[in-house]
Amino acid sequence: MRKIIVVAWREFRHTAMTKAFLFGAVVMPLLMMGLFIFIIPLLASEEEPLSGKVVVLAPEDVVAELQTQISDTSSPISEALEQIPSAIGNDPLVGALLPQHAPNEIEMVHALNSDIVTLKESVREGEYVALIVVPESVVNAIQTDDQLEVYIPNSFTPNHTDLLTSTTSKSVVNIRLRRLGHDPEQIYELVRRPKTYATRLSEDGTEAKDNEIARKLIPMAFMLLLWIATFTSGNYLLTTTIEEKGNKVMEVLLSAVSPMQLLAGKILGQAGVSAVILCMYGSAAMAGLVAFAMLDLVPISHLLLFSTYFIIAYFMVATIMAAAGSAVSELSDAQSLMGPVMLIMIVPFALWPIITEHPNGMVAVISGLTPPLLPFIMIIRVTASTELIATWQIVLSICIGFLSVIAMIWMCGRIFRIGILMQGKPPSILQLAKWIRRG
Amino acid sequence: MTHAIQVQDVSKSFGETKAVQHLDLDIPQGSMCGFLGPNGAGKSTTIRMIMSIIHADAGTIDVLGTNALHAKDKIGYLPEERGVYRKMKVPKFIEYIANLKGLRGPTLRRKIANWLERVELPDVNKKKCEELSKGMQQKVQFLAAIIHDPELIILDEPFSGLDPVNARVIGNVINELHQEGRTILFSTHVLHQAEQICDRIVMINQGIKVLDGSLESIQEQFDPRVVQVEPVDSTVQFNEIKGISHVYALPRSPRVNLRIDDHANPVEVLQQVVAYTPVRSAELARPSLDEIFIEQVAKSKGSEAADAVRLEMDNA
Repeated sequence: MRKIIVVAWREFRHTAMTKAFLFGAVVMPLLMMGLFIFIIPLLASEEEPLSGKVVVLAPEDVVAELQTQISDTSSPISEALEQIPSAIGNDPLVGALLPQHAPNEIEMVHALNSDIVTLKESVREGEYVALIVVPESVVNAIQTDDQLEVYIPNSFTPNHTDLLTSTTSKSVVNIRLRRLGHDPEQIYELVRRPKTYATRLSEDGTEAKDNEIARKLIPMAFMLLLWIATFTSGNYLLTTTIEEKGNKVMEVLLSAVSPMQLLAGKILGQAGVSAVILCMYGSAAMAGLVAFAMLDLVPISHLLLFSTYFIIAYFMVATIMAAAGSAVSELSDAQSLMGPVMLIMIVPFALWPIITEHPNGMVAVISGLTPPLLPFIMIIRVTASTELIATWQIVLSICIGFLSVIAMIWMCGRIFRIGILMQGKPPSILQLAKWIRRG
Repeated sequence: MTHAIQVQDVSKSFGETKAVQHLDLDIPQGSMCGFLGPNGAGKSTTIRMIMSIIHADAGTIDVLGTNALHAKDKIGYLPEERGVYRKMKVPKFIEYIANLKGLRGPTLRRKIANWLERVELPDVNKKKCEELSKGMQQKVQFLAAIIHDPELIILDEPFSGLDPVNARVIGNVINELHQEGRTILFSTHVLHQAEQICDRIVMINQGIKVLDGSLESIQEQFDPRVVQVEPVDSTVQFNEIKGISHVYALPRSPRVNLRIDDHANPVEVLQQVVAYTPVRSAELARPSLDEIFIEQVAKSKGSEAADAVRLEMDNA
């Protein structure tokens, strides 16, 4: 066991304690987490109110409407902030970060002079911050080549441009409605599509609000997390094994440890790496859930099952990767060997929409009991299902999972033992089968 | 006599190629044994089987009373293929291998530093393995093989790739380790190298053992019964001396070989030669391992095979 630990520690240290890993697995999730929490408020905080005089060449009622709208309307980012669900908006952390809305101080000035060239010049000279041209024909919704124009100086920010263009469009629509004798606000209220809430009625008499987006995204997030954590460290295992073969250091190692001790040490070391990746990305995801007050969507039972399926998934992927690494001498050879494996391992992505839709359907049940897809499919099923997955299916999947892990370790151990001393042409699948038989 | 290594009737094939055939081998404890043979003779395969890195198809191998898997910590092994972790610092690499062999603690680093100095690598502490020359890497790997004070040291071609100075440094260390009582088995295809430092020789060719015994006994066994003499007067005739059956001059040499009669005493013949005429030198010729080996190959495989081996050894 001591030797396995020594190998495992080296494997962990030389993978996880490098600048590249720290950046990829630690800094990146932290950045993601940071961006998640800070990006919207950060963008908004950069937003300065627009102030000054805007000269408007338009009918008088349009100018008045523009003045009203510009005072009420904030920038598109501020509008985006208004769209944030109340769950997030009410969060103290997010609330503290949100900038206080600063109103625009724009004065709409009705142009007395209809000479556009002169008005443009006054914008260029800084007398006005912008020029808005609204032809009467556009207000009357007559089929014409005329269009709404906003002239702005070079220094204008895109957000301020959006503010003026959107306010102008909205004001024209409002005036059209008013001229027909309607109250625009009333019309908007009438055409706004009310949101329909779905409530699931369980057989046990309880009711629960359905969150469709979460029901689709959370299973994907869990599966993706499992995939990233296992395949990243699995890939490290593949490359370090090929590297050891390439460096010809393998025989030195085998003079000190048995092939199985070496394999066990390498797999355990990379398990640590995988756990670090899982913790980092998992924490980032949890931070997101906490920030959006959606933590209740992930019950503890899901986390426990996730941990179990992680162990199964990791050992399946790691043994395959170690065997592939031992069988080849070049990374390019490994890629051709890994081709069929990867083809199988992307199946969970393809099945994700079907399984989230029918987590207890035939496809879900069968693929959820089929190694090596089992852990990835099962975690989608568990987190997507609105009903409890049958206990026997969970227990059976875990049993099949662990039995598969034992079988994979046995088979890959045999490949590893022979492969690590082989050089040259990579073996065919048939040869690998012979190695397994020969041991 | 206890044996550090006992190999009994071991065979190993790779596909159609028979790498080792019915090999028996006993290496006494404390001996310095040369495991000799031309390239492709099966030396490395045998060593790998002894180390339990690969498994024999048939036969048994006993190492230090058990098998190598259970005695790895007592064995130091320098494989034929030199390998280090290229990105690892030199002392860290040796420390890692030592850790695997069960060595730990603060004294280990001091020990590594001492050994590095001893093999004339004092300034490599902060260097990565990839920064060293091939010869230096080989010395580092040699240290990794012996750092844990093993009982049995197995060195596969320890001198190949080393310049004469470094070969001498490593040779001296090997001698010291032998004098400390450790058993050393080293393979080489350069036979005269083994002749200089080994007290026991095992020769194999094409997977079959052709010679096994102490250097002295082998040389006795293959005693050519020849007195080699360099007379002051090159015209002198030796046929008159009693006990000499045949005289032949060596090509491009002032020396003459005198074949001793089967019933004559070699020492007495030598004394008679010295008394017969003034000589610059006269000695009872000893067979070189090269000659013995070629003779053995010729005996078992025919003269063509012997010529092929001779050519290979000349090129080595």
